[in-house]
Amino acid sequence: MLSDKGPVAKLYLSIIDDVIDSMRELFLDEGLEDRVLDDLKQLWEAKMMQSKEMEDFRRNNINPCNFVLQLPVNYSQTDEELTASVMIPTGQNVHSFPAKNNPETLATFSLPAGLAYPVQIPAGVTLQTASGQLYKVNVPVVVTQAPAGHQPLTQPTQQVTEWREAPAPPLAVVPPSMIPSQEMEPRSVASVTATHLPPSQQGAPLQQTPALVSEGSQPQQSQPGDPEVTVENSEPSSQPANPSMASCSSSQLLDFHIDTEEALTQAQTLQATEMEEILKEVIKEESDDVVIASDITPPQTDNQSEAVVKLDLDYNYSELSEIVQLDGPADNSDIEKEEEVPLEENDFLGIINAEAIKALQEVDESSDGNSISSSSDSDGADELANVVEEDPLNSGDDVIEQDIPDLFDTDNVIVCQYDKIHRSKNRWKFHLKDGVMCYGGRDYVFSKAIGEAEW
Amino acid sequence: MDSSNDEALDIIVTNVVATFRTRCHLNLRTIALEGTNVIYKPEVGKVLMKLRKPMITASIWSSGKIICTGATSEDESKLGARRLARSLQKLGFKVRFSDYKVVNVLAVCSMPFAVHLIDFTKNNRPIASYEPELHPAATYRIKNLKATVQVFSTGSLTVTGPNVQNVATAVEQVYPLLFECQKPLCN
Repeated sequence: MLSDKGPVAKLYLSIIDDVIDSMRELFLDEGLEDRVLDDLKQLWEAKMMQSKEMEDFRRNNINPCNFVLQLPVNYSQTDEELTASVMIPTGQNVHSFPAKNNPETLATFSLPAGLAYPVQIPAGVTLQTASGQLYKVNVPVVVTQAPAGHQPLTQPTQQVTEWREAPAPPLAVVPPSMIPSQEMEPRSVASVTATHLPPSQQGAPLQQTPALVSEGSQPQQSQPGDPEVTVENSEPSSQPANPSMASCSSSQLLDFHIDTEEALTQAQTLQATEMEEILKEVIKEESDDVVIASDITPPQTDNQSEAVVKLDLDYNYSELSEIVQLDGPADNSDIEKEEEVPLEENDFLGIINAEAIKALQEVDESSDGNSISSSSDSDGADELANVVEEDPLNSGDDVIEQDIPDLFDTDNVIVCQYDKIHRSKNRWKFHLKDGVMCYGGRDYVFSKAIGEAEW
Repeated sequence: MDSSNDEALDIIVTNVVATFRTRCHLNLRTIALEGTNVIYKPEVGKVLMKLRKPMITASIWSSGKIICTGATSEDESKLGARRLARSLQKLGFKVRFSDYKVVNVLAVCSMPFAVHLIDFTKNNRPIASYEPELHPAATYRIKNLKATVQVFSTGSLTVTGPNVQNVATAVEQVYPLLFECQKPLCN
């Protein structure tokens, strides 16, 4: 699994590993296959990565993935077979590199943690994606770490420039060529989720570039080795087969998502021009492979013999989010999330109202009963007092629905242990320990935390 | 004597304490888990619930007795108490708002003059008491009003009584006595 965000994700993954390992014996004792445990682990990791990605998306500023995986320009043309070639970011023309189009696929590539980049993946290596599908790398691929802090948004050209100027020779890891189409299909089912979503703008130019390139020449695939491998998203219309992948990772783990998006076309175009230097592609001589999902939903397998996958930092943010979801919460983009939040609030209010109604009914019943009983029991003044006191407890004196109903439906949560919690009037002081804080979509793990707040 | 000659003394009510009963057993744990703005004190066996609108804090016991503190007026106190009962009701308890009673009212007041406490105490021997080593203020207890006035040498007063009216009356009662013992005058 490739994790995007550094230490926290690594910690989580190590936790997952520990748990799975310790469970292995128990599982075996129970008579369950080892495979079940492995599946569980895959599922768990996938969900975790997804949730982290979603959170990062929400945070916006999705740091452009440090890794750019570039595959040769659109591979849309399934007919053509491109030989894998590595594009060296020296301004060489994209055309010069034959590329194999990987059929549309969504693939998640995870490099083992702890790799020192750049990483070279020799040809013939079989990689396993998060979804369990196997990819065979027919072309030596080099994965490099792009400079961090890429801002994919709205500045594709600049970014491309950055990539170009990346100190470490950006290595592109083209999604290893897929193994025979059969495997591809299952792969296609697994949607590759981009860890970072570049803005749509960039995605679009990206596509256009390869489109242009493809027009002029055969689709090309970047060869492993240099710089970035950008995943192209093929427009359904023009380049159905263009796989697009956006990869971003700040950590050593990398998730590649290949997806076809219209938005990427533009990004591709822009990038294509500058991509010459950057374009890399891992192509496997055998076709099939990269299945590019043209839809957001589980990628459709449109296997193409030649797949050009470009990982673009300038991935379409929202589109990526749409693509991603293997499972888990349905919310994708920020917008959608925002929309959901009010829904949640509304639901919550609805719940409150329902409860209020129930409570009211109870009150009415009880108050009626009380007034009757009290009036019958008590005399004169007492009677009056009781009646007066009991009747009025209706919704007339509601607590204003708990002022400030922004009642912490926020996603900012801390789960931890406390050393000491102190309050003076309305000033609170917290001494916390051993916890995880989810703030602004990111997870922060701490062994000690001190806070102050005013109520 | 009501020497309310142009007193125009500002008596500021700073705290009103009231109690009421819900006539039903309250599950403190439920309140602590589901209530909003609550502090659970299991060692004591009560739950504190704070309200923002009338800024009040309520101590809730499982017996259903509730003490409501922090309001700045009697009306506010009652309003807050009702709101509190309402929120308990929403949590699912069969709450009946009964036996509401203001127990204590605390007010502060400031004399436009300083007071000579020793003379004041001497003049009002049994009713006033002054132990400077224990407390820097002289205590004047008005039995019939059930009010207590604490007089500081600066002329500041704190008055506590069962209701606001008593408190006001107490201030009026004490004023002339203090007036006699003004600092610049007496000494």
